[in-house]
Amino acid sequence: MSKRRTPPPPPTVPEQMPPPRSRYNRPRRIFSGWGLIIGLIIGVGVGLVYTWAISPVIEVSTDPWQLRPDDRARYIVAVTLSFSYDGNLNRAVERLLALQPRGEQQRDIFQDVADTTCQLATTGYVNSNSGLRAIRSMMTFYQLQGRTGCADTLVPAGDMQPTAVMQIDLPTPTLAPPASKTPTPISAPNASPTPAFIIVPTSVPQRDFVLANVATFCDSEISGIIEVYVQDFGGTGIPGQAVRVRWDGGENTFFTGLKPERGPAYADFQMDEGRGYVIDMPGRSDPSADSLVATPCSTETGERAITSYRAVFLPAS
Amino acid sequence: MIRFVISLAIGLAVGLLIGLYLGWVQFPVEYVNSPASDLSLRHKDDYAVMIASGFLQDGDLEAAVDRLRLIGVENIPTFVQETAERYITNSREVSDIRVLVALATAMDRLTPIMEPYRQVSLP
Repeated sequence: MSKRRTPPPPPTVPEQMPPPRSRYNRPRRIFSGWGLIIGLIIGVGVGLVYTWAISPVIEVSTDPWQLRPDDRARYIVAVTLSFSYDGNLNRAVERLLALQPRGEQQRDIFQDVADTTCQLATTGYVNSNSGLRAIRSMMTFYQLQGRTGCADTLVPAGDMQPTAVMQIDLPTPTLAPPASKTPTPISAPNASPTPAFIIVPTSVPQRDFVLANVATFCDSEISGIIEVYVQDFGGTGIPGQAVRVRWDGGENTFFTGLKPERGPAYADFQMDEGRGYVIDMPGRSDPSADSLVATPCSTETGERAITSYRAVFLPAS
Repeated sequence: MIRFVISLAIGLAVGLLIGLYLGWVQFPVEYVNSPASDLSLRHKDDYAVMIASGFLQDGDLEAAVDRLRLIGVENIPTFVQETAERYITNSREVSDIRVLVALATAMDRLTPIMEPYRQVSLP
């Protein structure tokens, strides 16, 4: 048989009962929990007020997105100017993204450029040649991406004439001295005749051809091509004309008429995406004023392609 | 009561430290509407590269200088020279170095270290 231990009966005498739990007989902790919590809250609050309002961090390295609107617009100008030189779209996009306020990364950066261009075009910024050039570089940038803005109607299209003044020192013909009043002695009959001094007038060098037109188009089958046509006054193609394409770090020369199926005036060149090109007829025309930039584009059917160009050279006069 | 006051003081001290850390390090004040003169040196350098590229595009030195005034440097030619030399020293992108050297050359600030990066501009 097993013995079962029975619990002792509960005390019935008050002296034997444990004292009731109360705040006076609980074991005392070292810290007051409420005191710590209240102190922490107040301390954090005071610390934040001090660091945000009284003694904030001194700004020494502002990022582009923190710029005020005017300076931000000038920064965008710099981005598009750089793009017009190197044609590096990825880099331009990176720079424009750095201008986007935090939390607004979904904004259309290209439309943002169009809006900024519109804003600048309505100010005195376009009154100078440099400002006008900058506006046009911005317009080219966003138009290549299929965006539009009010600057399209405010700023007239057309190539800018270079503002640099080219000074050409022409040789000045020396005038013959005025006739003296002293009678010229009669020369001896056998004197040798003085050879005649012929002055050949020097003229300003003329260019044979000018880049009459550059048009862009977007075609997935003809993607990233520079099509060049060299024509005479009557629109007839001239074969065998050298056309040069230059880019950052290289150049290539090709000739018209090598693709008879496209006519004697025709020549073409395949561009690399993201690169900017300058074309000319070496020694016979000035280089194109603006780079032909191989930027991505979308065709009418929504296919992705690279912008192509159609350039026409015509006789200068 | 004394226990509460001591706890409050300790909480205040710890909370203050936490608040200072949060306000100065973790979530510092971020300014907006800042002038371009406050741009970090990295972005000022990048801006100079962009303006130098624009200069090579249009050849307008006066416009380039005017655009560089935006970032508030005291001596623009010196800034361009130092930026070009810093890019060379730090082995940055050669294309960036070239445009900076071209602008420095136009400002008559070509130094021997830049000479290898000097390029003949397009006619």
